[in-house]
Amino acid sequence: MSSQEKAPEGDLPETHGVDYDALEELLGDRVIRRESHLNAEGFVIRPDEVAGALDLLRNDAGFDHLSMVTAQDYEDRYESIYHLTKYDDRTQEVSVIVPTDLENPTSESAASVYKTAEWHEREAYDLVGIDYENHPDLRRILLPETWQGHPLSSDYDQDKPQVVTLEEHVNPVAESQEDPDSDTMFLNIGPHHPATHGVLHVKTVLDGEQVADVEPDIGYLHRCEEQMCQQGTYRHQIMPYPDRWDYSSAGLLNEWAYARVAEDLNDIEVPEYAQIIRTMSAELCRIAAHMLAVGTFCLDIYGDFTAIFMYAMRDREKTQNILEDLTGQRMMFNYFRLGGVVWDLPEPRDEFFEKIRDFMDDLPGTLEEYHDLITGNEIFQKRTIGTGVIDAETAKQYGCTGPVARASGIDYDLRRDDPYGYYDELDWDVVTEDGCDNFARLLVRMREVEESAKIIKQCVDLLEDWPEDERNIQSNVPRTLKPDADTEVYRAVEGAKGELGIYVRSDGTDKPGRFKIRSPCFNNLHSLEAMAEGEYVPDLVAALGSLDVILGEVDR
Amino acid sequence: MFVPLQSDPVLLPETIGRVLFGGEIAIWQEAVAGFIAAFVIANVMLANAGVAGPWAKRKITAAFTDRIAVDRVGPAGLLIIPAAAVQLMAKELIIPDGADRPAYDIAPILLALSALIGFAVIPMGSIFGINLQMADPETGLAYVFAVASIATLALTMGGYASNNKYSLMGGLRAIAQNIAYEIPLIVTAASVVIFTGTLQTSEIVAQQAEPLVTIAGITIPSWFAFVNPFAFVLFMVANLAEVGRNPFDIPEAPTEIVAGYMTEYSSIYFVLFYMGEFIHIFLGGAIVTTVFLGGPAGPILPGFVWFLVKIWAVFLFTQWARSAVPRVRIDQLIEIGWKGMLVLSFANLVLTAVIVGVML
Repeated sequence: MSSQEKAPEGDLPETHGVDYDALEELLGDRVIRRESHLNAEGFVIRPDEVAGALDLLRNDAGFDHLSMVTAQDYEDRYESIYHLTKYDDRTQEVSVIVPTDLENPTSESAASVYKTAEWHEREAYDLVGIDYENHPDLRRILLPETWQGHPLSSDYDQDKPQVVTLEEHVNPVAESQEDPDSDTMFLNIGPHHPATHGVLHVKTVLDGEQVADVEPDIGYLHRCEEQMCQQGTYRHQIMPYPDRWDYSSAGLLNEWAYARVAEDLNDIEVPEYAQIIRTMSAELCRIAAHMLAVGTFCLDIYGDFTAIFMYAMRDREKTQNILEDLTGQRMMFNYFRLGGVVWDLPEPRDEFFEKIRDFMDDLPGTLEEYHDLITGNEIFQKRTIGTGVIDAETAKQYGCTGPVARASGIDYDLRRDDPYGYYDELDWDVVTEDGCDNFARLLVRMREVEESAKIIKQCVDLLEDWPEDERNIQSNVPRTLKPDADTEVYRAVEGAKGELGIYVRSDGTDKPGRFKIRSPCFNNLHSLEAMAEGEYVPDLVAALGSLDVILGEVDR
Repeated sequence: MFVPLQSDPVLLPETIGRVLFGGEIAIWQEAVAGFIAAFVIANVMLANAGVAGPWAKRKITAAFTDRIAVDRVGPAGLLIIPAAAVQLMAKELIIPDGADRPAYDIAPILLALSALIGFAVIPMGSIFGINLQMADPETGLAYVFAVASIATLALTMGGYASNNKYSLMGGLRAIAQNIAYEIPLIVTAASVVIFTGTLQTSEIVAQQAEPLVTIAGITIPSWFAFVNPFAFVLFMVANLAEVGRNPFDIPEAPTEIVAGYMTEYSSIYFVLFYMGEFIHIFLGGAIVTTVFLGGPAGPILPGFVWFLVKIWAVFLFTQWARSAVPRVRIDQLIEIGWKGMLVLSFANLVLTAVIVGVML
């Protein structure tokens, strides 16, 4: 087992039976040395042996899920960390750490082993400046092509003005790709387009009405969330930011991602009562987010702000009313605190519980109505069944999580597989579908709303009976948190769109040294190419809608 | 010497001519009377399709989707339409670089026009003893389908002339869709013509006035919707495709190709396109009314009122479909058109011909 030298004292998260010595043996002399992160052991690998090492871990040790690639720079080196885990057992984690020197930061790409690494490495190249060899398409991903320098590397000059032209995403010296004899047509879908759910630019090549090639171009909503978090103190200043990632009223789910990682890093306990409030409110957020997803997906299929969209909005509004009673906010909640939540349930409690129960009682009828209107509609079935197909293997390659993965039959839900909060005490099921198509993704979301309702009901019962003198909403947390320097941790929660993870490296101050967000939408959006190529334009739009990407989270 | 296209009942231009110029009318007087009549009919239809239509559309859609819609400007929000008209006309007319003019300019005018001139042969019934039909040629039904088809030309022109890929796709989709659905539409209408033996609209309406059956004292007229409900359903579906409403709003398909052929149109051109579409829906309703719903026939109220009630009912149906039914995909649309509608409409035609030939 691991040697947790740098970890703070107290309950260390277990490494859940990963035999790291056996893994070290498997990797052989590729391993330079071992490092300990709070969540897992890390193997330091030479930069020219990345693909080989990852290939072994994936095929021989079963680490089939590359959750995230974190890039960062130290004074003497650059470093890429590949956070690996398993779809079958989320608690088994291992990190592969690849240091590269400052002068020539070149490292071998992992894209040949994990498809999802393609985008993650592009981001690492874009923001930190590490070069990945053998990468199929190493370009900037968030920033414009013409950007100078890499903003998260230490030699970046923030004061130097950048001239970003109107055609900012076009490289002026690149050769024209146009071919006068071609039968295909290039079409920009977005960044201003009714179906892109925000500012997404999808470069498509069409062959008639069929999609020959599709490439999402992201970064229009990049707001330097990671860097902003790096400039905030752990205790209070970071918590408001997660609300702005997935802003489809899934704020509390995002806040929990930060709460979880910061609580692990600083070894903070959360009282049981607060855990139940968190669980309940987070599931309310999930319902709100899924309602929005169902509504906008139908908007893409129906083509107008029609009945089903408005019905979904109406029901989302109800959850927002409840959340407003609880948190004082409708979208940007800022309700979680490290060690608990900011305040107790609103008084009078009976009324609040009544409100939630009313909503829960109406929900089955509401969903029945939805099923009548959408899933039961034959035209709707004709449009969605068998389109936007992504099989389980491909979905894993792209690092899909959340409803997208579960609709491809991947039984993977962090609430159950890597329990946090109060979920493992409650009775609920992980929803999966085997359709792999747009219809299955819709069904998963609609059924997950039912499961969330189950969870909420149980939480309400628990909260109602909770003794009045034991309503402890926050544990004692020091005013200033300064985790030991070079403590590293990667933790994830089940956000509305999937595995929402955060990697934090502390640098001994009260602010994170590196704060990296694993956005589920980012990975899910990458899989669009697998879903849409060869399909018709309307199915591309439908597939995009069924992915339910929130660009605020994709671009961060 | 006034030569009426049909002697009885008196058509609107002749009524106006008699009022203005007395009994004997010269050619130029006839022309003036015709212009005035056309002006009256066009304005009546514009008031319906261009003013009441958009307002009603917002109210109807809102009712379907649990909203209230416009209610601040004027009574029940009615004045929003003049306000919107002023706003739209005051907007800058942006014409894209490389637009193919004058095709770009003609398209919106052509669309509105093609739908409007269709009303010339529609028997709209009478009110205050004045028959509101413009003309009643023997080829009435053929004429109305012919001019309604010009709309496709307008959509295609607007689509390619905009120099925009979305517009181009919208234009191409419009052609594909209209060819696929106009044939079933016309073939289904032809099955009615087999019954009537004439293309003259007034005659078609007149034949529907005959009683079909009498049940418990209530006489059901032989509207072709009752005589041949199958043809009626086919026609309604094809009509939805013809006017481009869900599930067949493929040429616009806002979430796929932005606004299709309309993408690059702004200001008054947009108004013309938008209004043209509404008039087209109303023309579709007028054709359905004439061919299947007994035209302006109805008890107690004047014929013209019944005529309006019926075309508004068809309009309501299109809005209902729009609110409740998803859009089909372009390949599915073509498949439904060529493999489903076409076959069914020809089956209906043959069946009708056999029934009419054997039984009548």
